[in-house]
Amino acid sequence: MAGEEMVRVAVDQELCIGAGVCELLEPEVFELDNDIVISSVTGDELLPRARADVVVDRCPSRAIAIVEEEL
Amino acid sequence: MAPPSAAAVDTPNVTDPSLYLEGIPHDRFAQIRATPGLAWHPYEDGGFWAVTRHAEVRHVSRNPELFSSAIGHTNLWDLEADALEARRSLIDTDAPDHTRLRRLVAGAFTPKNIRRWEETVRAITGELLDEFVAQGGGDWVDMVAAPLPIQVILTMLGVPTDDADYLVELSNYLVEGTGDAQSIPPDAFGNTTELRLLPFNSPASHALFEYGEGMRQQRQNDLRDDLVSHLVQAESDVERMSRNEYRNMFHLLVFAGNETTRTAISHGGMALAAFPDEWGRVLADPGLIDSSAEEILRWATPVMHMRRTATTDTELAGTPIAEGDKVVMWYASANRDEAVFEDPFRFDVSRANGDHFAFGGGGPHLCLGAFLARLEVTVLLEEMAKRSICLEQTSEPVRARSNFVHGVLSVGMQPAGGTN
Repeated sequence: MAGEEMVRVAVDQELCIGAGVCELLEPEVFELDNDIVISSVTGDELLPRARADVVVDRCPSRAIAIVEEEL
Repeated sequence: MAPPSAAAVDTPNVTDPSLYLEGIPHDRFAQIRATPGLAWHPYEDGGFWAVTRHAEVRHVSRNPELFSSAIGHTNLWDLEADALEARRSLIDTDAPDHTRLRRLVAGAFTPKNIRRWEETVRAITGELLDEFVAQGGGDWVDMVAAPLPIQVILTMLGVPTDDADYLVELSNYLVEGTGDAQSIPPDAFGNTTELRLLPFNSPASHALFEYGEGMRQQRQNDLRDDLVSHLVQAESDVERMSRNEYRNMFHLLVFAGNETTRTAISHGGMALAAFPDEWGRVLADPGLIDSSAEEILRWATPVMHMRRTATTDTELAGTPIAEGDKVVMWYASANRDEAVFEDPFRFDVSRANGDHFAFGGGGPHLCLGAFLARLEVTVLLEEMAKRSICLEQTSEPVRARSNFVHGVLSVGMQPAGGTN
């Protein structure tokens, strides 16, 4: 099942508008800095691919991408 | 501007503001949705591409590099360059200006930070509902739909809630400005600015700018833990925010922060009264509160369209679009698109598909206040359920003469079967 595959995600901080959708969907992975209002990926940054696809799709500024790499 | 194709000249008119006095012209939108390709809609000396289907609204909304918010205007009519600059708010920008301005206010409106306002929203809501029940009902807009969102946004801004009535009054004049019939003279509120330089061509914008300037001066030497203070601090560094950007941001936060959710709550009340069985399902199963809030938002579609301008030659639904063409996303139509919403004209509190465009069609201009509006509607439903308030409509709604804001000026309601 592709759903079990874990992927790494990254935030393009130039594009982030601080809407906080990622933080709502995946609070373990994303956190908004309250001063600069930009999201970043925190410690536990791996997500099942299906959930990563959702958060990539729901980010209003398309600032989130799956980092394709050999894990 | 692209010449209309022969097939497009039959496009039914959906811009005449007087149509909306009877509600959204859904039959006309259904006709446009059913026509393949994009419909060319004449407007003033030119026209626009009417984007009415869910999938295509989504495409326009999510591709800001193809469809700009910063060119021409985000309303149907173009503005002269100086007017566009004077009136430019967060709404009328593209990245990077949009990103810079959005980040200045985004922190206050993230889902996580909005949750901190839940008790404030609940207290205000409870007070309004108790008064509504004690009075045996009245004008639902005046008693509940208008005061709830304005009191919340003013509290967040740090603006005295004693001024709520005045700011709602200004908002009503601004809604008039989105239509074709203003009831106040150009020099109302001491205005001396040309109307074309003011948002919605309304002298009420002058009054709201003046109010925002007063707040700025007050907070300048007395910074507090509120949103106006936050903006005033940002405005002290012109790299972050100019004075003109401040006044337009203040204007936007007050207007959009109250008028839109008022509209959602107005239509929400009407829907609950019109479909008592649906409300009965919510009362029997509070697990339906969240989906019913989303259904109210879809049903209401408080902002009925936004316009973009093509930055390049492109294509949509097989229709070529030329650089500079106006492209108008009709959320009011997309939210009834039968290709996405099963039985779209049915008010269904358990509707599974919550992919409505009450907050726009996705992309960077996602409504800043989306999570605040959701909180307000959700808490309202919870507090109504707690009090077992069922609504009975006692008079026809008076609707705004506007093709932009789905406003309700008044509608009579009374509580039926309350347990007080």
